[in-house]
Amino acid sequence: MSKIIESFREAFGRALVEIGKENENVVVLDADVKGSTKTIYFEKAFPDRFFQIGISEQDLISTAAGFAIAGKIPIASAFAAFMMRAWEQIRNTVARDNLNVKIVTTHSGFSDFMDGSSHQCLEDIALMRVLPNMKVLVPADAYATKVLLKRMVESEGPFYMRLGRDYTVKVYDGEELEIGKAEILREGEDVFLIACGFMVSVALEVAEKLKDLSVGVADFHTIKPLDENTLLKIAKKANLIVTLEEHSIFGGLGGAVAEVLSERMPKRVIRIGTTEFGKSSRDYLALLDLYGLSADKIAKRVAEAVEGF
Amino acid sequence: MSESLVRSALNDKLKEMLSEVNNFHLNSSITCLEILKAVIAKKRENDVIILSKGHSAPAFYVILSELGLLSEEDLKSFANLDGLPSHVIRGLPFIEVSSGSLGQGLSVANGIALASKLEGEEKNVYVILGDGELDEGQIWEAAMTSSHYKLDNVIAIVDRNFKQLTGKTEEIMSKEPLGEKWKSFGWEVFEVENKAEKILELLFELDKVKGKPKVIIAKWE
Repeated sequence: MSKIIESFREAFGRALVEIGKENENVVVLDADVKGSTKTIYFEKAFPDRFFQIGISEQDLISTAAGFAIAGKIPIASAFAAFMMRAWEQIRNTVARDNLNVKIVTTHSGFSDFMDGSSHQCLEDIALMRVLPNMKVLVPADAYATKVLLKRMVESEGPFYMRLGRDYTVKVYDGEELEIGKAEILREGEDVFLIACGFMVSVALEVAEKLKDLSVGVADFHTIKPLDENTLLKIAKKANLIVTLEEHSIFGGLGGAVAEVLSERMPKRVIRIGTTEFGKSSRDYLALLDLYGLSADKIAKRVAEAVEGF
Repeated sequence: MSESLVRSALNDKLKEMLSEVNNFHLNSSITCLEILKAVIAKKRENDVIILSKGHSAPAFYVILSELGLLSEEDLKSFANLDGLPSHVIRGLPFIEVSSGSLGQGLSVANGIALASKLEGEEKNVYVILGDGELDEGQIWEAAMTSSHYKLDNVIAIVDRNFKQLTGKTEEIMSKEPLGEKWKSFGWEVFEVENKAEKILELLFELDKVKGKPKVIIAKWE
């Protein structure tokens, strides 16, 4: 994996400092994971605007709501899995009151490979996507993390941004990314791979492997609001659509895509993701492979699907 | 305004309003009336009130009507589709945050209080809690946060009516020694009879206490 350039959390931590310089209203709240999420960089740069809430995600979210009510732009950060214990606080206060709270989680998907099933988070897109007012972002690489973080802070209202831990493979090189606008990275007619997060780079690798097929790749970094127009354009030209996510196949990107297409342009959609809890692993890529999310396994599955179509 | 509000007798009006809706959260509202009267009488323009026990919305509406901020018609519209919501929501007079789900108001109060300290503002944040609500673990997470940050602009008032939804508090989940619990979390604790005049008097006294969050346990005899 020589293409790995920067980790998600490093990109997040550094971008936060830049944003903090530009916008004095930004405050950061932590649940005693600042060294792991890299919000520690913000604390060092702006100690007065960093608030340690302790290992209490529910208190973290509701306190962030208070900051938003007072006119600040709070960024509440923790591990994805444990932030979900504050789902009801996010629902009843942040989303219901449409408050300007930005929730950014790291260690999502399988990216916390060593820590095993308790720490891996494969349900958060579904849990956040279902909430009215909430927008959901899943950047593909370090660059997208930085750009979308800025866009998110500039936009009003509640957001959930989902980041992995360390692995990002370079996908972008200075492109303008916009919230709500999917990026078509590669055109194709036989199959279109629709991905989010780290799986975008995996999708590009899959397309390279399937040389006999015309394979398109799109990054749907905004899961909500979903870019339905781009999705319909893709569905019009591609014979088969495959969604890729480090998340349950229920309710995540695959669910969102299937919902739209079944209503507006019925099309065969294969959802690739997970249906079970993960395992502990010393190696991230080995874990992805175990659950069928490596480029090799996805390429095999896609080739078989096209053949049997 | 404060004198007349504190002395106003609003119980009958509240009972009348709720008689049409099977006495919806009547007890929770009756015991909250005196607290709300005192807090609203004390509130400066800049101060914030959080009704964490959102079930007491009817008491709050009756007070708003007394202040001329809601009409008799509004009161009759309680829980109707286009009328007043059954639990308070953001956008109503004085209401900065929706409630109805218990245990979240103190954390929200801390956020507002921290932001106002950051801005160097003079702002008290009053948060009204139910005694049953104290079963929620988040209250105690937030109680730690208030004292950790020495939020002397946070004033919690516990409606100690010794009742929660399905029975007496000490039978459902015992709270006592309640004052000691708050004290051990680093709070300055005050106990008072649940009477508006007495609570109001105490609220003025509390402004002199610095360096710690403060809690009033308002006991319904």
